[in-house]
Amino acid sequence: MSPAPEEIGERIVELLPRLRRFARSLSRNQHDADDLVQSVIERAWRHLDQLQPGANLGSWMFGIMKNAWIDDRRARTRRGEVALPEDSGSHPAVSPGDANAALWSVSEAMTKLPEEQRLAVALVLVEGMSYKEASQLLEIPMGTLTSRLARGRAALADALGGPGGAA
Amino acid sequence: MNYDDETLMAYADGELDAARRAEIDAAIAQDPALAARVAKQRALRAEVAGAFDSVLAQPVPDRLRDAARGGALSGAGAPDSAAPADRPRGNVVQFPSRGTRAPSAPWRAREWFAVAASLLLGIAISWRYFAGDTSLIAAGDGGLVAQGALATALDRQLASDAGAKDAAVAIGLTFKARDGSYCRSFTLRGSGTAGLACRARGGWSIPVTAAADAAGGDYRQAAGTIPPAVMQAIEARIAGDALTAPAETQARDAGWARQ
Repeated sequence: MSPAPEEIGERIVELLPRLRRFARSLSRNQHDADDLVQSVIERAWRHLDQLQPGANLGSWMFGIMKNAWIDDRRARTRRGEVALPEDSGSHPAVSPGDANAALWSVSEAMTKLPEEQRLAVALVLVEGMSYKEASQLLEIPMGTLTSRLARGRAALADALGGPGGAA
Repeated sequence: MNYDDETLMAYADGELDAARRAEIDAAIAQDPALAARVAKQRALRAEVAGAFDSVLAQPVPDRLRDAARGGALSGAGAPDSAAPADRPRGNVVQFPSRGTRAPSAPWRAREWFAVAASLLLGIAISWRYFAGDTSLIAAGDGGLVAQGALATALDRQLASDAGAKDAAVAIGLTFKARDGSYCRSFTLRGSGTAGLACRARGGWSIPVTAAADAAGGDYRQAAGTIPPAVMQAIEARIAGDALTAPAETQARDAGWARQ
């Protein structure tokens, strides 16, 4: 017996903070992150019939977000939209003044990572998934996940210069 | 012995098997440089996680709430063949459900070294996250203790309390510790802080806290909901399984007295 739509709606509402955090760790700013969350919610409602009985709504939606984010990146590339120059210092929706400085600097460092490393870091370090859970969600072998995660972490440590930086 | 970064990363994340972990425990004990590399891995993890955790505390825009509930209104959810890429392929990660669930095997296997290290990390993090929660957690003799609404929730609130959905405190697992006392995991919704509280001297001592992974503890006990540091503290203490709802009620009504 599937839950009523109203109940699904409330469960998605409960997931919103985590979905927003995951989206924020993939996006340049909170505005883009919230657009991503919105598109994920819409996709989830359209494809609710594909949610397996007994499957976890949260992990299902995280999987949708991963796909939606990758699709969006591809679409932008096809349209010839190049990401803002990575070192331009131009962040319309986030600035050191209005947002928490730690979020700004870590997010800045995250946007410089290649997408596959960013996903690995977001799922394991930000969302706290185990390597196994993250590799299942990304549909990649564990060894691939760990090497992406290690490279992503090393790059972040260099960029942030603090913990994990120069020995 | 030389270890590459990938191995030390997996060690810091608690992902190595017991034998490999014991080997590195021993190596670290003799090699401060190695210990420092592990500490840096952990510090980076805490920095990255802590930065994005601030998003959990932000108000959720109305447009997202509307979208979340909108599917019910618009009758969406009907089958639609478009965009097969939307569907996560392969195995869907199954998060365990809450209730009488016993912690999973990998956690059970963790050793004291890792537990102790995480406790230290948890305590270090807690001071950062508690800046706004001094009314709920105070430094008592020998550690942190619950007070105010947190103490009340730990005394009275059940994990299953439907009426507590919007309360400041969410209760996760309740279990009996090896020393016979009761412990309960909790999440402070306001600050996104999770922790473990154990009954002691008529109050609740708090051996560990960490940045929570989910908003509120009321969503099913997804893998991310209880932060690793808290889960490890639970693992280090739990005797048997978590209490069922009736047992939790009974323990509460008995004033959390040791049995």
